[in-house]
Amino acid sequence: MVVALRAASVIAFVLLWEWAARVPISFNFPSPWATLTALVALLRSGAILSATATSLQSLALGFGIAIAVGVPLGLVMGVVRPVGRVARVYLDLLIALPTAALIPLVILSFGINILSSAVIVFVFSVPFVTMNAYGGVRDVRPRLLEMAHAFDASRWQVFVRIVLPSALPMILAGIRYALSRAFVGLIVAELLLSPFGLGRLIMASRSMFEHDRMFATVLWTLLLAGVALAALARLEGRLLRWRT
Amino acid sequence: MAPRPVEIVVDGVSKAFGTVQALVDVHVRVRAGEFLSLIGPSGCGKTTLLKTIAGLVAPDSGRVVVGGRTVEGPGRECSVVFQDFALLPWATVQKNAEFGLLLRGVPAAARAERARGMIAKVGLAGFEHAYPAQLSGGMQQRVGLARALAVNPQVLLMDEPFASIDEQTRRVFQDDLLQLWSEERKTVVLVTHSMEEAIYLSDRVVVLSPRPGRVHQVLDVPLPRPREGAGVRATAEFARLVDDLWKVLRKLQ
Amino acid sequence: MTPGARESDLGRTGLIAVAGLLIVWEALGRLDVSMFVPPVTTVAAAWWQLVANGTLTRAAASSLVSLVKGFVPAAVLGVAVGLAMGRFATVRHLLDGWVNALMSAPLSALVPVLIALFGIRDTVVAATVFMFSFFVIVVNTLTGVRSTDPSLVEMARSFGAGELALFGRVYLPSALPAVMLGLRLGVVQAVKGMVVGEMLISLVGLGERLIYYGNTFLIAELYAVIASVLLIALATSQLAQALDRALIRWK
Repeated sequence: MVVALRAASVIAFVLLWEWAARVPISFNFPSPWATLTALVALLRSGAILSATATSLQSLALGFGIAIAVGVPLGLVMGVVRPVGRVARVYLDLLIALPTAALIPLVILSFGINILSSAVIVFVFSVPFVTMNAYGGVRDVRPRLLEMAHAFDASRWQVFVRIVLPSALPMILAGIRYALSRAFVGLIVAELLLSPFGLGRLIMASRSMFEHDRMFATVLWTLLLAGVALAALARLEGRLLRWRT
Repeated sequence: MAPRPVEIVVDGVSKAFGTVQALVDVHVRVRAGEFLSLIGPSGCGKTTLLKTIAGLVAPDSGRVVVGGRTVEGPGRECSVVFQDFALLPWATVQKNAEFGLLLRGVPAAARAERARGMIAKVGLAGFEHAYPAQLSGGMQQRVGLARALAVNPQVLLMDEPFASIDEQTRRVFQDDLLQLWSEERKTVVLVTHSMEEAIYLSDRVVVLSPRPGRVHQVLDVPLPRPREGAGVRATAEFARLVDDLWKVLRKLQ
Repeated sequence: MTPGARESDLGRTGLIAVAGLLIVWEALGRLDVSMFVPPVTTVAAAWWQLVANGTLTRAAASSLVSLVKGFVPAAVLGVAVGLAMGRFATVRHLLDGWVNALMSAPLSALVPVLIALFGIRDTVVAATVFMFSFFVIVVNTLTGVRSTDPSLVEMARSFGAGELALFGRVYLPSALPAVMLGLRLGVVQAVKGMVVGEMLISLVGLGERLIYYGNTFLIAELYAVIASVLLIALATSQLAQALDRALIRWK
């Protein structure tokens, strides 16, 4: 029954789209079929795949460094309380700020290249990785710490055997959320930066009024993000099997 | 003016939830104005039985007749007091006590007055504007009782009302309940886990057997009333009755 | 829901931390560490200039109008859809796939689609604001309705409550905290959508100013606009929090 409803909503969406393409809302609103054929053509020509590769490079670079920097930083914040209290203020501000506003500044400082995209991805994702690592350490059940001390565990042992496993779910959740933010940053950066990746492809298609190609690329981008997030969620589930 | 208490007849009620048979062919007759307890080991279906009387659960077969009318859903004759109090956390004590009246379409002024009266009756005068989160368990349940009594029911159904309350508060509450009941007689059906409580409060105790739930035995409690504040718990008669009940229950474990 | 992010509470530590940052920034700026790090005082002067000649106020006004035009429908529709999904399983199963998928999707990818639909106009900004905030509001409202204490529902039914009474007197008040959370998160997302939308169409508002000053290397002005955006973000967030506190006194 549930499956039927879900299938029905997908079908309804496609029909709605088809209808929208026929009604003259705006010029050249491509139909589902036109979008699909454009997508296949793009795949065949390799254009979309090379754009994807470029985009993923920036993403991997920026996101990877965000994890490498954010997790240790968050852990330190959680363990050394004063550092945490102060750093947290900056992070809260960074999270409150619509990060896209920093893009022109980054482009100015680093130029129009992959480094800029990577930096933007970094800035979009690092606050969440850090905050979650911080939160994970802070939220360790005091009872468990008490128990470890009762067994005379060293500070290092407590950290590795109690704090880290305890904080892991929250760290992973933060990484997963940060990935969705990273994609957001990547796309906005590329839509603005133009010479690179999927964003460039989207903007180029639009300015050349090739709306079917634009829609196809947008669809592809959304699917890409969806697959990446789903894969990460799977990984997270595997790592956290002890959680019922 | 309090309505007359009425008789309850549970006539051959059976109820299953999926493959689990909760009740099988239960026959119970509660006299008008009687205080009856339902007791039994976990899973004997006593709460389910209470809910069929309340009209919250429909029996698979058999029927329940309250005051001569077959139960087909929650009715005006019955009022329920819940184990976890079920107070609206976003409403004050006053508003919570008015809730039943509100749902029955009683106009605002009459509602407020009646609820206030009930709140005083359960000993919570002065707390009308407090929120449930600010009250202890015992006080919250008093609000639940005030709400139940405010709608002037002929039948009071109580689902382990004192289970979440500490013992000292519980004893005081039980005496208060008996006091209120003696002033305005209603038919009361109380579900409990406590043998002592069942004997102390009731005229009769119905023991249900574990899954599938059936009426195993009915014990009479011939202790004189009033029992509140009369040191009944210290009498030999009381101890003997509790022991008799325990003997019955022990065999069912 | 944003994991790990708690409300920005500018207590004493906060003020000291911010003050410290400003001092370090000023020092780095004076020392001319980089042309991209002007002293705070220069930025402040530029900010004041922009306010005085009206540029900033005009841009901010345009941005805020788009924000309201996009957020209000998102809030109203979002809550309505969330309530419907929470209450009726059929609706929920029909829509939850879309809602969940779009909530974590890079919605900025859809802005070019909006541009294709509406052309390069400020309606796109409002539409982006709507898009960014709608799904968060739906999901939180839905969760709120679904997490209604079943015991309260049973209690209300025992007193004879019908479907309408159940909805209005139990489900709705019970879901209110979650709805407010959704609106709070929605406001934050709305501001982000506002900036992204404006930057991408580069026509009006603070987003346009960001692109302009970036292209023309007017760095102090750029920082001034960034600061203004941050202020708006903080102000709307605080406003939403205050509303939340005012409405939910019973926790």
